[in-house]
Amino acid sequence: MPLSPLPSATCRNEGCTLTGALSVTTAIRDAISIVHGPPGCAHHTFSLFHGAQSSPWDEPPIIVSSGMGEREVIFGGEDALAAAIHLAVQRSPCAVMVLSTCVAAAIGDDIAAVCADLEQEVPIVHVPCGGFLGGTFNDGVVVALTTLTRLDKSDYPHPGITLVGEKNLEYEAESNYHEICRLLHLLGHHVNLRFVRGATMDDLMRIGSSSLNILREPALTPVGERLCKVHGTPYLPSFPVGLEGTLQFLRDIGECTGRAAEGPVDQEMKGQRLMSETFHDITGRRVGPPREGGEVAEALTVELAETFDLAIHETAPPFPMDGSLPVGTAGISRLLHRWRRMVRA
Amino acid sequence: MRQVALYGKGGIGKSTTAANLSAALSFQGKSVLQIGCDPKRDSTRMLMHGDLIPTVMDLFREQGERGIRIEDVVFTGYSGVRCVEAGGPEPGIGCAGRGIIATFQILERLGALSGDVVVYDVLGDVVCGGFAMPMREGYAEEIYLVTSGELMSLYAANNIAKAITRLSGRGKRPCHLAGVICNGRGMPGEEDLVREFASAIGSSLICAIPRDRVVQIAELHKRTVIEYSPESAQAEVYRELAKRVMANDLFTIPSPLAIDALESLALSHLQE
Ligand SMILES: Nc1ncnc2c1ncn2[C@@H]1O[C@H](COP(=O)(O)OP(=O)(O)O)[C@@H](O)[C@H]1O
Ligand SMILES: [Mg+2]
Repeated sequence: MPLSPLPSATCRNEGCTLTGALSVTTAIRDAISIVHGPPGCAHHTFSLFHGAQSSPWDEPPIIVSSGMGEREVIFGGEDALAAAIHLAVQRSPCAVMVLSTCVAAAIGDDIAAVCADLEQEVPIVHVPCGGFLGGTFNDGVVVALTTLTRLDKSDYPHPGITLVGEKNLEYEAESNYHEICRLLHLLGHHVNLRFVRGATMDDLMRIGSSSLNILREPALTPVGERLCKVHGTPYLPSFPVGLEGTLQFLRDIGECTGRAAEGPVDQEMKGQRLMSETFHDITGRRVGPPREGGEVAEALTVELAETFDLAIHETAPPFPMDGSLPVGTAGISRLLHRWRRMVRA
Repeated sequence: MRQVALYGKGGIGKSTTAANLSAALSFQGKSVLQIGCDPKRDSTRMLMHGDLIPTVMDLFREQGERGIRIEDVVFTGYSGVRCVEAGGPEPGIGCAGRGIIATFQILERLGALSGDVVVYDVLGDVVCGGFAMPMREGYAEEIYLVTSGELMSLYAANNIAKAITRLSGRGKRPCHLAGVICNGRGMPGEEDLVREFASAIGSSLICAIPRDRVVQIAELHKRTVIEYSPESAQAEVYRELAKRVMANDLFTIPSPLAIDALESLALSHLQE
C-alpha cells in the first residue's frame, strides 16, 4: 500500500521531485542539466517547461538525458552517465548539474562517485532526485537549492539581499520579482542575487556572503535554516502576502537591515489606498472561500473581504489563487482584476 | 512440458544437483533444457565440459535484443542437454533481478523454452522480484528447495517458501512447492532434520543426496557425476532423484515457519 493515501498523492503540490529540481537547475545561466534516467523523465519535464507561460530562459534550457534503457538498468547506468557528462562538458557549460531519477536510485547507481571521479574543469554537481523515496516537487526544489548552497566560496565579499527559490515555473514570477524590488527600493535596498533565476555559477557561489535571504515561500524553510546555520544569514520565510502582510514585510526588512521602516510603510499604505479605490465597484459583492492555499489563502480572503466589504459565501467564485498566492500589493491588485473579470462575466 | 526450478542458499549445491538431474533425465530419454538463473553463470559448466557459454545478458549487452538468435544462447552439452545461462551484471552494480526478467522475455520471444523438461537453477535466496521470475505463471510450476541441515541453509529455504506462498495464489497455473532436496553436509541427523523441516512447511523430502568426494573429483574433471562416474553410488542417487522428480505429483502451497520455530526445530536435532 502506498504510504501516502491517493488523494494527497495526486495533489498538484506533490508532483515529481525531478521536475522540482530541474525548475531550479535549468535556471542557472549557462549550465547544463543532465537527467540520469530514462529519456522520458527528461522529456516530461522539458515539455512542461516548454508549456510554462513564464520562464527565466530566453531559449528552452538544455536538458540532457543519459538515456537509460533496459541495458543500463541491468548492468548499471554509471557508464551511460559518464558518457552523458563528457558530451555535456564539450558544450562548455559553466557547470553540469546531474539529477538522478527513480530508476537510477532504485538500481543503486553511485552517481555521486561518478561525478567525483570525473576530473573536469567545470563543477559536476549531483542532485539526488529519487522521487519514489517520498519526494515531492517541493522536495526537488529544496534539494536542488540546498545542493547549490554547498558550492559556496565564501571569500567573495558581496553582501546584499538574496531571493531564494523564486518559482521559476509560475506565471507571475517576473512580476513578483519586480514587486519585491519595488518594496526593497522603498527602504533603499536592491536585490543582489537571485538564487536561482538566471544567475551564473559564479553568482551562486557567493550565496554565503548574503546579508539577508528572502525565501519565496515557507516551504523553503529548510534552505533558509541551512544558510542561517552555516553562514549566519538571517532570513524571511516568505514573499509578502496580503495588504497588512506587505506592510509587515517592510517592517521585517527594516529590522533585519537596520533601516527605519515608518516612512516606507506610510508610503506603501498610501499606495494600497489608491489601489483600493480603483476597486470601489466590487464593494458589497460575494466572494467564495479559497479552494486551495490553506490558512494563508483563507486569511487573505478574509482580509480582502473586510477591506472591500465583501460577503464570504460558499457558492460565490473565490479569488483565483490557483497554486500561487499573490505577492505584495501589486499581486493583490492583479488578483482583484482577475476576480472582477470573473464575477462580471 | 514439465518445468522445475531449484532454489536454495548460495553454495548449497543447486548447480551440481541441477546438472546431474538434467543429465539423468536425458538418459531417461527426455529432451532437457537447463537454464542457469544466476549472474555467477556456472550452472551448466559441468554439462559443457568446463566451457563458460555466452550468457543471454552478455549478448544483450553487446548487441541489444535485436539479432539474438536461438543458437547464440542455447548450447548443447553432455548427453544432449540444452544449456542456457542468463548471466547478469558485474557484482556490485546494476540490477541482476531485472536481468533475469529480460532473459525470460528474450527466451520467450525466441521460443527457446521447449522440450520435455526445463530445469531452472536459481540464485540463492529470492533477493528481489526478478529472481522470482521462474516462479511466475507460465514458468516453473514445481519448485524444489535444496538445503542441508545447517540453520542458514534452512533459513534460506524457508524464505523461498515464503515467496512460493506469495506467488502460488496467482494465475491459473501457479507455482507450487514440489519438495525438499537434502544435499548433505555430513552433519549427524541431517536427513531427519531436513525431513522434519519439509513436513513442517507442508511438503516432503524428495531425496537425500549424501556428501561424496566423487562430486568434487568429477567437478575437477569438469564433468557431472553421471558422466564421470556413472557406476558410482552417487550417480545412482542422482538417477533416483530424476525418477522421483518425474513421478512426483504432490505439489503444495507451503506454510513457512516463524524464525523461532525454525531455530527450535534445528536445536531439537542438535547432536554433539
Ligand atoms: N553432494 C555433494 N557432495 C560433495 N560436494 C558437493 C555436493 N554438492 C555440491 N558439492 C560441492 O559444493 C560446491 C558448491 O556447489 P554448487 O552446485 O556450485 O552450489 P550452488 O549452485 O548452490 O551455489 C561445489 O564445489 C560442489 O562440487
Ligand atoms: Mg550455482
